[in-house]
Amino acid sequence: MTGNAFRRQSIAGLPAGSAGGLPALTLVGLFFIVPVVALLLRSVTDPEPGLQNYAALFGSGTYVRVFLNTFLVAAVVTAVTIVVAFPVAWMLAIMPPALGSIVFGIIILSMWTNLLTRTYAWMVLLQRTGVINRALMGLGVIHEPLPLINNLTGVTIGMVYIMLPFMILPLVGTLRAIDPMTLRAAALCGASPFQAFRRILLPLSLPGIAAGGLMVFVMSLGYFVTPALLGGTSNMMLAEMIAQTVQSLLNWGLGSAAAFVLLIVTMALYAIQLRMVGARRLGGGL
Amino acid sequence: MLLDYDRLGWLRAGLAGFTALVAAFLLLPVVFIILLSFGSSRWLAFPPPGWTLKWYQELLADPAWIDAALTSAKIAAMAAILSVLIGLLASFSLVRGEFRGRQLLRGLLLTPMVLPVVVFAIAIYALFLRIGLAGTTIGFVIAHTILALPFAIIPIATALEGFDKSIEDAAIVCGASPLQARLRITLPSIRIGIFSAAIFSFLASWDEVVVAIFMASPTLQTLPVKIWGSLRADLSPVVAAASSLLVGLTLCLMIVTALLRRRLSR
Amino acid sequence: MKLILAGVLAGLLSATAAKADEMVFTSWGGTTQEAQTKSWAEPFAASSGIKVLQDGPTDYGKLKAMVDAKNVTWDVVDVEMDFAIKAAKDGLLEPIDFTVVPKDGLDPRFSNEQAVGSFYYSFVLAWNKGAVSGEPASWADMFDTKKFPGKRTFYKWSAPGVIEIALLADGVPADKLYPLDLDRAFKKLDTIKSDIVWWGGGAESQQLIASGEAVFGQLWNGRVFALEKDGADVGVSWNQNLTAADVLVVPKGAKNKDSAMKFLAAATSPTGQAKFAEASGYAPINTKAKAEMAADVVKGLPDAHVDGQINLDMNYWAEHRDEIATRWYAWQTK
Repeated sequence: MTGNAFRRQSIAGLPAGSAGGLPALTLVGLFFIVPVVALLLRSVTDPEPGLQNYAALFGSGTYVRVFLNTFLVAAVVTAVTIVVAFPVAWMLAIMPPALGSIVFGIIILSMWTNLLTRTYAWMVLLQRTGVINRALMGLGVIHEPLPLINNLTGVTIGMVYIMLPFMILPLVGTLRAIDPMTLRAAALCGASPFQAFRRILLPLSLPGIAAGGLMVFVMSLGYFVTPALLGGTSNMMLAEMIAQTVQSLLNWGLGSAAAFVLLIVTMALYAIQLRMVGARRLGGGL
Repeated sequence: MLLDYDRLGWLRAGLAGFTALVAAFLLLPVVFIILLSFGSSRWLAFPPPGWTLKWYQELLADPAWIDAALTSAKIAAMAAILSVLIGLLASFSLVRGEFRGRQLLRGLLLTPMVLPVVVFAIAIYALFLRIGLAGTTIGFVIAHTILALPFAIIPIATALEGFDKSIEDAAIVCGASPLQARLRITLPSIRIGIFSAAIFSFLASWDEVVVAIFMASPTLQTLPVKIWGSLRADLSPVVAAASSLLVGLTLCLMIVTALLRRRLSR
Repeated sequence: MKLILAGVLAGLLSATAAKADEMVFTSWGGTTQEAQTKSWAEPFAASSGIKVLQDGPTDYGKLKAMVDAKNVTWDVVDVEMDFAIKAAKDGLLEPIDFTVVPKDGLDPRFSNEQAVGSFYYSFVLAWNKGAVSGEPASWADMFDTKKFPGKRTFYKWSAPGVIEIALLADGVPADKLYPLDLDRAFKKLDTIKSDIVWWGGGAESQQLIASGEAVFGQLWNGRVFALEKDGADVGVSWNQNLTAADVLVVPKGAKNKDSAMKFLAAATSPTGQAKFAEASGYAPINTKAKAEMAADVVKGLPDAHVDGQINLDMNYWAEHRDEIATRWYAWQTK
């Protein structure tokens, strides 16, 4: 009786219920797939047909070093983000809504503030003569300014700052979905808080951590503005290298090849993520 | 126990303290930018030698900043409308459709969110140069709609999943056409999802800088492009003033959003 | 649905290529482009009726993409001279029409078939007086971390300048710089690598020195000039100052070529050059410009510091640009 109304209207020749996806598919097909594929073709045709761009890419110690560094930075950022986000998400999941909404408000405000200005603020805050170093020296904690910028520390601080909301928000959902009774039961059976955390809370929130972590990792791999402004030249990441190759060296072939490698890695991780959480839940915290 | 706020004991103090620290960390750069915008030092020294409003005066006297803000608003509004409309249609398909490749379609439509934006920026710029869309409003809107689409689809699809379809079917049984049932019953029920979609896709365009840097032309500059140029070229505290105004705007938007949400969910 | 779509899209195809009585000038932004606007574009628009739209910052990748796609929105572009020589070879530039642009007075060092000078500048040694004890006197001092501790700042991108500075500091005589001994330069730079902060744009170099983040560095003389004008406490040494030039080029297929040539004539005229030099502190490329300038301004130009001045070899750089860049970025990421 409740026969599928949607199915009945489906346009002849198209699979049931797929018509609504057509405009989106057309748009993404024409202006996303086509240009990206065209760019990738350039990597094997520019300046001449062949694989010489890939040979140059993997034959050069520089590019290999930049690849490795990109993974290192993404991994460090992901690890720090998880460790910082978990307690906050935990607190947010259980704290009274009135208080919690203040913290949520701060998270959203930071997320919505222009990315460039946030990064710029960190540049001024973290430099040797910056506010943080001066405050620490004024308090007598340190005598020499700490190197907080133009290195891995700077990139990590700046990127963790940007990634935190993307980790906290989905994690809150995961933690809220856990039945508090399970933990009460554990306590009744004599589990210490630490045991309850390790044996129950952590395993139950692991899917959320893994999904969020993968998302942060994938996003970090392709980041451009923040590492370029807060990192040193020895922390260069792939996205910046691609931009530099195209913009300063005018080498579109080599830049496209590097872009292709970044694309493959990102897509592979994205596929794993889809498998793990199902596309439905992806970014569900937004 | 561990998930009972009232029974956490000493752990609660620890978690609360840590949360407060992280909140302060998140707030720090935002507050700092606002302070800098009132500082009198041309070279962003902090603490500043004095306080001034001159950067705001300079900002408001410069039509280029206001133009850029209007351009950004126009492009973001159009990208938001388009991605909500297209995302709405797509969400019905993704949630209710029964066809092979539905998961693939979902994965594909969400890809622009994970693909490194540098790759997309270079690719779309090369294409738009060839077909004459580089530096045009429509080119900007298309590129930003693609980037915003995932941010529209996710909340709408989530809302649609949570909506009990039998209510819509009941309306049809009572004589409404399928289209009427959707417009009158389903859409109002998922309005919070649609509303979130509009906000998120607006922001996805409003704050986008990498594609915009490539697409911008002398007559068409968005606010992030203007900020980027200013940071690179003269580092004037006017940028801090502009950012502070944006923070204020964001705060207003957040308050409006919260109020609207409250009303909508009643 | 279609109606709404049509409504949203209607009238959006606003062509942004400049109209017949308009043209686009692209430069690096900031105080330099401001001076170019005031000294060249505004008087030119007033006398010719051609409106000059400003764009920037200059982006070589964008320039090449435009020419490749045969859709060029930039009509006149301010670029570094070594790039111009290389780009001309790659067929990216229109030849200059010297029937419109008077050759008379143009400094031959900074003009060729596809480019006319924009301005020329010197890399000088500038320091924050509050952060340095004593006065650094030569490039060699920038490599002496004992005598001058603290961070030093150099230009980040692969371009004429830093390599030469390293070689000079290592004792290579000025007339033996070319061909550049890259191994020797990088070896010298290695000795202070951890003390270097790089600046990517003029504003950043000013901010680093003015805030004391870097105690001294290699700066464009115009940026030091602007710092002094703003009242920052900086010192400057012209010893072994290194000259290089920006030139104006017209990308191949520019839509308003005729207007572009007329603009070049105005920009390189003695008056245009004199005004720009007074506003920016950079030197004019028209030898007749100095006659129109105030004497005290002339004293502050790179022209007044020819003693020990070294001309960076643009032709050498144009020829070895890619090879040096590859090594440069490889060394930086190490």
